[in-house]
Amino acid sequence: MSLQLVANVIVLAAIYALVSVGYVLIYRVSRVLNLAHGELMMIGAYFLVATSSLFSGNPIVAIALAALCGLAMGIVVYAVLMRWMTGEAVLAAVLITIALGILLRGLAVLVWTTQQFYPGATLGWHNPSVRIVPGVQISAASIAIVIVTAAVYLGLFVFLQFTRWGIRMRAAGQNPLLAEQRGIRLHGVYALAWGLSTFTASLAGMILALDSGVESTMATIGLKAFPAALVGGLDSLIGALIGALIVAAAEIAAIQYVNPLLSDVVPFLVLLVVLAIRPWGLFGSREQLDRV
Amino acid sequence: MTAASANTPLLAIEALEVAYHRTAVALHGISLKVMPQTIVAVLGNNGAGKTTTLRAISGFIGIDDARVTGGRIAFAGERIENQSPHANTARGIVLVPERDKVFPNLTVAENLIVATSHRANAAERRQLEALVFAFFPALTALRQRLAGLLSGGERQMLALGSAIICKPELLLVDELSLGLAPVAVEDLTRRLAGIRKELGIGILLVEQNAAVALAIADYGYVLENGRVVLEGAAADLRGRREIQQSYLGQASGEERRSYRALRRQETERPNG
Amino acid sequence: MVAPSPYARDLKLFGTRRARLRLAAAVVALGVLPFVASPFLLDLANQVLLACIGALALMLLTGFAGLISLGTAGLLAAGAYTVGALFREFGAPFWVTLPCAALLGALLGLIFGLPSMRLRGLYLAISTLGLHFVMVYLGGEYEARQSLSTGVMIDPPSIGSFSLTSGRAWYAVLLGFAALALLISVNLKRTRTGRAWRALRERDVVAGALGIDVQRFKLLAFVVSATMTAIAGALFAYFRNFVSIDAFSLYLTVQYVAMIIIGGMGSIPGALLGAAFVILFPYAIEALASYLPERFSNTVFALDYAAFGLVMILFLLLEPAGLVGLWRRLRNAVTARRAKTAS
Repeated sequence: MSLQLVANVIVLAAIYALVSVGYVLIYRVSRVLNLAHGELMMIGAYFLVATSSLFSGNPIVAIALAALCGLAMGIVVYAVLMRWMTGEAVLAAVLITIALGILLRGLAVLVWTTQQFYPGATLGWHNPSVRIVPGVQISAASIAIVIVTAAVYLGLFVFLQFTRWGIRMRAAGQNPLLAEQRGIRLHGVYALAWGLSTFTASLAGMILALDSGVESTMATIGLKAFPAALVGGLDSLIGALIGALIVAAAEIAAIQYVNPLLSDVVPFLVLLVVLAIRPWGLFGSREQLDRV
Repeated sequence: MTAASANTPLLAIEALEVAYHRTAVALHGISLKVMPQTIVAVLGNNGAGKTTTLRAISGFIGIDDARVTGGRIAFAGERIENQSPHANTARGIVLVPERDKVFPNLTVAENLIVATSHRANAAERRQLEALVFAFFPALTALRQRLAGLLSGGERQMLALGSAIICKPELLLVDELSLGLAPVAVEDLTRRLAGIRKELGIGILLVEQNAAVALAIADYGYVLENGRVVLEGAAADLRGRREIQQSYLGQASGEERRSYRALRRQETERPNG
Repeated sequence: MVAPSPYARDLKLFGTRRARLRLAAAVVALGVLPFVASPFLLDLANQVLLACIGALALMLLTGFAGLISLGTAGLLAAGAYTVGALFREFGAPFWVTLPCAALLGALLGLIFGLPSMRLRGLYLAISTLGLHFVMVYLGGEYEARQSLSTGVMIDPPSIGSFSLTSGRAWYAVLLGFAALALLISVNLKRTRTGRAWRALRERDVVAGALGIDVQRFKLLAFVVSATMTAIAGALFAYFRNFVSIDAFSLYLTVQYVAMIIIGGMGSIPGALLGAAFVILFPYAIEALASYLPERFSNTVFALDYAAFGLVMILFLLLEPAGLVGLWRRLRNAVTARRAKTAS
């Protein structure tokens, strides 16, 4: 396998990893599978489109503002919609996220039309192709996504392990009833999980937008990244990372050696294989299966 | 420490009825009181309604579709039946459940960090934390141990400790002794009595093991099939023959009988 | 005449006089429709009838047996492509393609049902989602191989010189198929199979302990549902004279899921109501859109999407029992008011 292929795998894995972290956060804390995640990522990208046209001379402000909006978006979605499903059957909550995704797709086109946007261009950034090592060319945005993904994972790890709110989130995920009995406000924890999830999704969306533009079909990447989360185990952060690597490697290998058309289906083939052999994923906790 | 004066009960339950799924009646009208700064024991076998009572008080009654269908529960004078568990925890009613009493994948230290009381400021919280380690010095060495790997006794200590950090006014303990060696149980009950004294709180202790509970309680109630069949000062209860036979396992060779059967037998025999 | 036993009386479909009157009214309405409706309305009715078949199929699987499946679009595609491929390669007539579609549906039902042996709820839904993408890939692969960038054209089904093209003729055919699907659903519900499925839905562990062969009934539910869906897909191909993989997106599946939710989960009239609602909804939105500023009326499909998502959310939040639930509430409110004014 050439070095270029390896680089491609790493970049694709970073994309999948950054997107699937959002699935894991919400699932781990509240057992809800957020199938609107792809659409939320897309809206995050559109946020950048909006802020970049407002602050075209100041890319840092544009990006920071868009990321902040991404964070707020998750909290709003929880506060307005998802919190009514807390305590209800998980399947109903998942169905609502599907409906939310559809609503968001429609709204996105209504607000921004089907036109393709290039916020990178608006901000004056041309996304050069960089030669890291002889024989390996990747875009600057690809480098950015690898760095951002690493930073996000590190940040989340520190947050969950060492901060009070992070430990609360882990506790609520393990035993929401006991968490309530110990004074933890579940609504607050869930809202935070949603906020962090959409924040990371928006980051992913923005970088992808800077790399190749935004268009309403971007949301499908969200669904393709989902198998990565499942393969690793829906409630494991490290699992999402490993899962992303596996799915990305399988996909690139399939495109390269078998048939380029397979690109969209390979993640789901991996998903089906994992479901057949080890449904709770590589690092997931087994009880999840029976609890559903 | 509490809003109630020395003569108002901390917790007053009157004629409480609880039903599961709107059909299966679990509590047929029980009445009990917890006076401030006392320990009250609620005894009885499995299915007597003890856990249901605790659930009704703590507000975690929605599990298994149960509801308070009659009577009232008053905490420091306020009615609290069918309110959200969150409201009750905010009032200072803290429950140590029978199972799943700690977070197994969190360390001891994390279990304690996670406990929150919205009524305690930072200084009070630090005090409470210090108190926990004073009551349960064994926990100090176990700080970094995963709670799931603790022994039964250690886990119970952690559970009580994290409950204390929630700054309880009324502590509800479900089956303190279950699965523990007698030595550990004795140790725990002594510490529990110490906690009551130090914090000046009320404690409602639900127990199958009457000896354990009556050793530290001030007052006791015996539940059977969702009804209170006996109550009295702990000292009196300890002496009652029925208790000895039914719940302290001191009946000689006879089959264990329900309290009711024994009472009937007693009243039919004039000279006891 | 001996009075039927109470159980037999319960089992009778139209035991009461009122039920028989209702049936008569429905038959009359349905019979008159093709003669009084405009071609546009007739086409709408045909679409609704077609959707009813798929909705009933999904309702059997998810509403009755409690097995979550997101595979509807994939199965519709399977049926449609069977017709398309067989017609294109061999010029096969409908009395060959339809049974083949049904057979393929049954086979796929077995495959889609296999995960249910081990998985439940969310994970089962995820497995069907994976299978959906596999089906979409296969359809796309076929189109690519055959260099069909715009899909497969199909001649209308014909017997001798008669060709099934007119709206009225289609109405009769689709009404027949829908009625058949309805009959099958109703009968399955009230027989042993239906009861076994309901036991599955509630607690399949308990059902197993009661001696119900859980595996067999789960697979049966998938097979029956998939066969019906594949036939619906085949009919869809003939109805539109056209098959293209683009039509079979996840959104199509969600529409069918919405049908049984909006209609009312687990209820046969719910499936029918839901089918009608979801099919007619875009047309209502389009009509509304003409009142909106120019900008919105240009992207009606987006408006449709957004409105559909919103309606689905509202139903899930506010009326989880769907239209049937709403109807019941309305009826209870009216009866209560009537009782109040009477007293």
